[in-house]
Amino acid sequence: MDDLRKYAAELLEKGEVAAVIGYQQVSEKRTKPIIAKTAEDCAKLVFNEYCLNNLAVYLTKARVKELRRVNGAVLKLAITAKPCDVHGIVALIQESQLKREDVTIISFNCAGVVKDFGMDFNGETLATKCVPCDTHKPLYSDMVFGEEKETPKVSDEVLAKIESIEKMSAAERFEYFKAEFDKCIKCYACRAACPLCYCQRCITDKTIPRWVESSAHSRGNFSWNVVRAFHLSGRCIGCGECERACPMDIPLSLLNRKMVIEAKEAYSYISGRSLETPTLVGSFDVKDSDELFM
Amino acid sequence: MKIGVFICHCGENIGRTVDCPRVAKACEWLPGVEVSIDYKYMCSDPGQNMIKKEIIDKKLDAIVVGSCSPHMHEKTFRKAAVAAGINPFLVEITNLREHCSWVHDDIEAATEKAIEMVRMSVEKVKRDQPLTTIEVPVTKRTLVIGGGIAGIQAALDVANAGYEVVLVEKEPSIGGHMSQLSETFPTLDCSQCILTPRMVEVYQHPKIKLMTFSEVEKVDGFIGNFTVTIRNKARHIDEDKCTGCGLCITKCPIRKKAYNSFEENLAHRPAVYVPFPQAVPNIPVIDETVCTHYKNGKCGICVTVCGREAINFDQQDKLVTEEVGAIIMATGYKLYNIDKKPDDSIYKGYGEYGYGKYKDVVDGLQFERIASASGPTEGEFKRPSDGKEPKKIVFIQCVGSRDESKGFSYCSKICCMYTAKHAMLYKHKVHDGEAYVFYMDIRSGGKMYDEFVRRAIEEDGVKYIRGRVSKITEEDGKYIVKGEDTLAGMPITIEADMVVLATAMIAQPDASTLAQTVGIPYDKHGFFNEAHPKLRPIESTTGGVFLAGACQSPKDIPESVAMASAAAAKAMVLFGSDKLEREPVVAKVSADLCAGCFLCKKVCPYGAVEVREVKTRDGVVIKEIAYVNEGLCQGCGTCTASCPSKSVELAGFNNEEIFAQIAAL
Repeated sequence: MDDLRKYAAELLEKGEVAAVIGYQQVSEKRTKPIIAKTAEDCAKLVFNEYCLNNLAVYLTKARVKELRRVNGAVLKLAITAKPCDVHGIVALIQESQLKREDVTIISFNCAGVVKDFGMDFNGETLATKCVPCDTHKPLYSDMVFGEEKETPKVSDEVLAKIESIEKMSAAERFEYFKAEFDKCIKCYACRAACPLCYCQRCITDKTIPRWVESSAHSRGNFSWNVVRAFHLSGRCIGCGECERACPMDIPLSLLNRKMVIEAKEAYSYISGRSLETPTLVGSFDVKDSDELFM
Repeated sequence: MKIGVFICHCGENIGRTVDCPRVAKACEWLPGVEVSIDYKYMCSDPGQNMIKKEIIDKKLDAIVVGSCSPHMHEKTFRKAAVAAGINPFLVEITNLREHCSWVHDDIEAATEKAIEMVRMSVEKVKRDQPLTTIEVPVTKRTLVIGGGIAGIQAALDVANAGYEVVLVEKEPSIGGHMSQLSETFPTLDCSQCILTPRMVEVYQHPKIKLMTFSEVEKVDGFIGNFTVTIRNKARHIDEDKCTGCGLCITKCPIRKKAYNSFEENLAHRPAVYVPFPQAVPNIPVIDETVCTHYKNGKCGICVTVCGREAINFDQQDKLVTEEVGAIIMATGYKLYNIDKKPDDSIYKGYGEYGYGKYKDVVDGLQFERIASASGPTEGEFKRPSDGKEPKKIVFIQCVGSRDESKGFSYCSKICCMYTAKHAMLYKHKVHDGEAYVFYMDIRSGGKMYDEFVRRAIEEDGVKYIRGRVSKITEEDGKYIVKGEDTLAGMPITIEADMVVLATAMIAQPDASTLAQTVGIPYDKHGFFNEAHPKLRPIESTTGGVFLAGACQSPKDIPESVAMASAAAAKAMVLFGSDKLEREPVVAKVSADLCAGCFLCKKVCPYGAVEVREVKTRDGVVIKEIAYVNEGLCQGCGTCTASCPSKSVELAGFNNEEIFAQIAAL
């Protein structure tokens, strides 16, 4: 932990970065994001299994982009990121939202995080997104801290659920999702928490003409949730922040994970894994399968 | 807003299935519609005058015309509207013919549909914005791809009109297949004698930039403004220094390692070579694959003998960029190789004819070389296997052509004529020889063509047998040709000394790749598609790209030359004005809303989307956004569809207009 704090303070002191986006402890089993601009702020930085947030979301919000401007100069931003959060950063770079040279990635060897704040971290309480995870070391980073540890082995509940939904008839599936989506209150917390929902004006907010219905009717509920799933197809990095942010506990990762699986099976593509690979949406190869074309 | 609705009967075309007066009547009551009338031929002079009169009398702001496809008469009605003082982009065409009357037979339902369609257009036209046409400059230079007779003709015609031409040929010399031919039908004049003066003319022409041993690698831009990247492959010989003395060729010790493709593999060539003696330019090429220097760094005899120090083993490919306004495709054809095909090939091949197995079973181009005075046998008829004069030759037509089960569905068109020519040339030199031709039909349409075939049969005694050959086997140096004479209704066996197969003309194997590079459509056989089979046979559907010769479909020399001159004329039409008028149907990105994901840039097929920086007053870049270059944009709308936040709008087809149309349904 001291290494991290020292390294971050040095970056700030040398004037290399304008701020360090990281986690600070608020109670024994809870952290929250901090934007550290001074050495004192850096002394609060932590990294542990309660660092749930995907901080990559801050790299796209205009408010925080402002941070980079210090006395007329534009400096880099440093960010502490779990290996899975690095996928988000890579995806943002792939989608031209960020330049690799504009961000200093401080990453960690990660053995998984807890499902929610306040829980003890043991084999049982591993976050669902960590269950299928295969990147315990960051794929891209400027500095790596932490020792390599064994990840607890837990059965993949989300995958099991997806498989059970796939077995349903179309009508049953519709009823299942109708019930889930009917919980939606259109707070758009999922959008706010998602690092890849970086549009300046979301299509849902376009009202002349209105593309996505936003009524409290099932039509509106389906419109929003299905449009979001489609907009994330081939792009979602599976950080699970949308589901964690959802106050109504809609199982959004079912949709997103399913789309990740589809993209992987059809095009051998997973978002955010390589800076050199062109994005799935927007690139074409004659060998591509036609199956998913509508 | 006052809108006029004009419903055309198109004679019977629309009137037969759509009750036009009823449509006009129903549309009178649509909100915003000031006047709604129908007329038998809206495109006729009285029809147009009616539109003009109504616009002026009723002070209309916009009009909707329910008629044929906008491809047909949009221009007509726009002109009428402009004459009456309306912006041409406030004219909506409802396609009541192709989209309604032609595809339905129920009058009641079709009429209802027509009313709905007009209602949609009325809602759209209410939201249409007046637009002004975009003017783009024209680069008055032409790129001709392919240096065969079609490319040569097109290049000469354009250059003689005073415009610069870049002629790109992938082989080391121009001339194409015509330079390989012995004589040409129907006059039997020597092919090279009539071709080589044209080749030299190209080489010496001050307006033609000749780039041989080069291939087009990339084409950017659009009609009038193409940027072409050409790969000039390394000859390993300095073109400026070489005088074409040929000493390197005579001294090269590699004599038997490489086949001479100009001689259709009937002879060998050295590692350093020119394809044929009259090659233009007469500059050799070193074949890296066989040259000893590239194997072990030794030899170098050519370097020693070259008095001009022109040999440069380290020469690299060069990429050259050229700006042109028009492109003429003249990439020609290939002969179908009829070997036994691999199992996964969609073509079955003709293994039963023994091509590739029996040395004396040759194809049409090989026979041309055997018959040619400059060929490997110096014009004497000698068969490849033992050099003996063949006394009996069987010619088989339609090998691969008109045979959907094993070859291609189309007729290769030239084989009837060249087979008659082959048989005739043979009989002229081997007076006691016998020539048999197996044919399906004799297709000899054309000036003096049928007379030519009759001459082969009647004066030169070539024996024509109507039927197909089922199998060829070899026995003691003779080829047993088993076939059927369908007129006599009996099987026939001929013991021949040699067999000539008139194999199908097919597209160049890399034609589809080139078509994708240039951005033009092609058919399932790889031949480039014309914009309209009857009225626009020279143009491709891509503006500024024209077709000449056999790259479009099988053609003989006069047809290719005629098409080449036509393509040249099309390019010159383009160069007739200094500016091109373009429809203002282009995309525009909202700078406020664009998040800069550049998905639009990735999907734009025309490279029209650029990255533009948004800066503060003190020069700090706040964000990068997409910007559409309206000169390049073709208005296809791919960017508007791909934009996740719908921050790109297509002028004339914006979100609001389309939604209003759908909502009116």
